[in-house]
Amino acid sequence: MISFHLDARSGIAPYLQIVGQVRQALLLGLLSEGDKLPTVKEVVAKVAINPNTVSKAYRELEHLGLAAAKPGVGTFITRSLGQASLAEHGPLQQELRGWLAKARAAGLTEPGIDAMFQNTLREKVEEKI
Amino acid sequence: MNPVLQAHALGKRYGQRQALADCTLEVPPGRVVGLVGPNGAGKTTLLKIACGMLAPTTGRIEVLGEQPAAGPAQLARVGYVAQDTPTYASLSVADHLKLGAKLNPRWDAKLAQARIDQLGLEPKQKAGKLSGGQRAQLALTVAVAKRPGLLILDEPVASLDPLARRDFLRHLMESVAENDTSVILSSHLVSDLERVCDYLIVLVASRVQLAGETEDLLAEHYRIVCSRRQDTDLPPELDVIWSEHTGRQSTFIVRSQTGLPAGGWPAEHLDLEDLVLTYMERSAGRGRRTATRTTGDAR
Amino acid sequence: MIWLTWRQFRAQALAALAILAAAAIYFLITGLQMHHAYSADLAACTPHHDCSDVLSRFGQSYDGELNLAQLLVIAAPGLIGIFWGSPLIAREVETGTDQVAWNQSVTRTRWLAFKLAGVGIASIAAAAVLSYLLTWWAGPLDHINGSRFAAVTFSSRDIVPLAYAAFAFALGTTAGLLLRRTIPAMAVTVAVFAGIQILVPTLIRPNLLPSTTVTFPINKTTASRFTGVYTSDGGAEINIDLPVPQGAWVISAPPVEDSSDQVVAGYLHSDCLFPNTSGPPTKTGAPPVSQIAACLARYHLHQSVTYQPASRYWPLQWYETGIFLALAAALSGTSFWWIRRRRN
Repeated sequence: MISFHLDARSGIAPYLQIVGQVRQALLLGLLSEGDKLPTVKEVVAKVAINPNTVSKAYRELEHLGLAAAKPGVGTFITRSLGQASLAEHGPLQQELRGWLAKARAAGLTEPGIDAMFQNTLREKVEEKI
Repeated sequence: MNPVLQAHALGKRYGQRQALADCTLEVPPGRVVGLVGPNGAGKTTLLKIACGMLAPTTGRIEVLGEQPAAGPAQLARVGYVAQDTPTYASLSVADHLKLGAKLNPRWDAKLAQARIDQLGLEPKQKAGKLSGGQRAQLALTVAVAKRPGLLILDEPVASLDPLARRDFLRHLMESVAENDTSVILSSHLVSDLERVCDYLIVLVASRVQLAGETEDLLAEHYRIVCSRRQDTDLPPELDVIWSEHTGRQSTFIVRSQTGLPAGGWPAEHLDLEDLVLTYMERSAGRGRRTATRTTGDAR
Repeated sequence: MIWLTWRQFRAQALAALAILAAAAIYFLITGLQMHHAYSADLAACTPHHDCSDVLSRFGQSYDGELNLAQLLVIAAPGLIGIFWGSPLIAREVETGTDQVAWNQSVTRTRWLAFKLAGVGIASIAAAAVLSYLLTWWAGPLDHINGSRFAAVTFSSRDIVPLAYAAFAFALGTTAGLLLRRTIPAMAVTVAVFAGIQILVPTLIRPNLLPSTTVTFPINKTTASRFTGVYTSDGGAEINIDLPVPQGAWVISAPPVEDSSDQVVAGYLHSDCLFPNTSGPPTKTGAPPVSQIAACLARYHLHQSVTYQPASRYWPLQWYETGIFLALAAALSGTSFWWIRRRRN
């Protein structure tokens, strides 16, 4: 069963962190279709966070089509995003390589690239939700 | 849905000292409410009035729709753990559970026992011999097992070490998830509140400075760092909460319920600690500082 | 609430039971001995008609023990007030456990009612046991003394100690509630209780019921009833022992006064008092009382005595009990009123 953690300093809303961690687990193949997510009670008993946060995260996962709740039984993953999916996105990775080269050429150092990436990613994530 | 706590112009005066003034609140149910403010701001006073230990001198308050401590039925619906989580030093852990069972009609003995087992507390041990964290957990168990609709906790983790603090909050959240209890929790440690509270009340200098859903409050406040200008130079829909001006630069903390106006404002959101500190500083009168350098860079 | 009251009181109750058991054993063992010795002495002296001397010596031999026992029985309610009353509420407020107790599903008044009733009844019971034991134990001694009206005696017999216990307990709890600290409450309880125990026997008790005052003019006829004459205050006053009903409580016996109610100076009448010598007489040289009285008759003097007859003992006990119970009730009422105020 997946276990969650909260990064208080990340600036990302707690429920989004949970969504992100589920996604991450799916991408890495640690979770797959049919796996049961821990109950809200189980999550908050391990990680001292508000139960509403967990509920909201699970609702978001449902909204994204990644999970579905079965009343009285629990919340289950409905889709796998295994290692294969990373391989599927070869063209995307190619694009990224190209962009990195451009950024380097423009004079951005690695920390600068990382900062720009994190910022943009955060904006994107918050915008979407 | 009926608010768990409704206060209108609530005030409490001790002789010359006004401990609480003009508090108006409407707290929705199903939340974990963080009551935050500096020491002496009136947090304990507000919580004691809410659970019926104190009577207000002005205004009115309703908790779960009734007067606080109006009778045994109302007392059964509200659980309270006072500051420093008092317990009966000469009574054992098992005695405390028996106390709860005898004095509360809706006592959940199985829940209480399960929690004690989970915490690893010895039933025969006297409460006076427990560690601070264990005493806090015991006090919480007694309050939770009576199945209240609202749990009021006054700085329950202030004197606990970080591990005990985390354990306490985990226990509390588990109870909330299990029983769907509303919680009002006061603290002067904002970091704890960030994890668990979805509703925030900032109490400074006996007054409510800010109250609302944490998420909304965080979304409505911005920090704007721009070239030196007056508060009034900002668009009117931005409510300036705090500002600081140095030679070339002004920093504003603003609140807007309608988002930022167009114009590419260099704004970012605050984290909870900064938000609370802003309101605390504002109340302390430190909101309008202007530092001019002798070279007169002010523009 | 009964369980909680008992559980919190348990240690004190067990300590009290131990003390009471020890007291009971002491009183029973020594008391049976004393009662037995008394009967034996009484049987021995009656044929010889010197019982008053024998019994007076008997009584004196137990003086120390009697005083100690009486003081303990009077102190017991005070101790109950300090150790059971003062901490009852004050301790809870000091340790913060009032915030635990008053947020369970019982109202404060119910909480207070059970605690006051539970420990209050225990207080009264403890005092009752001590009083009963002492009253039985001191039976022969009280008989020798003639009455139980002496201040310390009256306060440690029969039913008044129960009322003192109720009062001291109520005093302790109310002080604890108002002062919110155990030690100051204890101090106040001791001070007030001690003060009352000094005031009541001297000022209140004699006036609870109307007393009887008898005035005897001093002349040859009345002299036959006098039992003794003596001077006091260095000769400034004359006192005559007057007959009072058996077992009565002499409240006051002022010195001899003249017809205008002025105290008569003894040395003015030394010719009557000390006719044979120029100074106070020795025992063997004292003139008989009748002669002195006949001599003084022409000055129209009189002496009064104020007393309560023996039959007033039980009414006084009941009256005093009533007063202290009323005080206890008033204090308890104050506690209930105060605890509802929530002014903190």
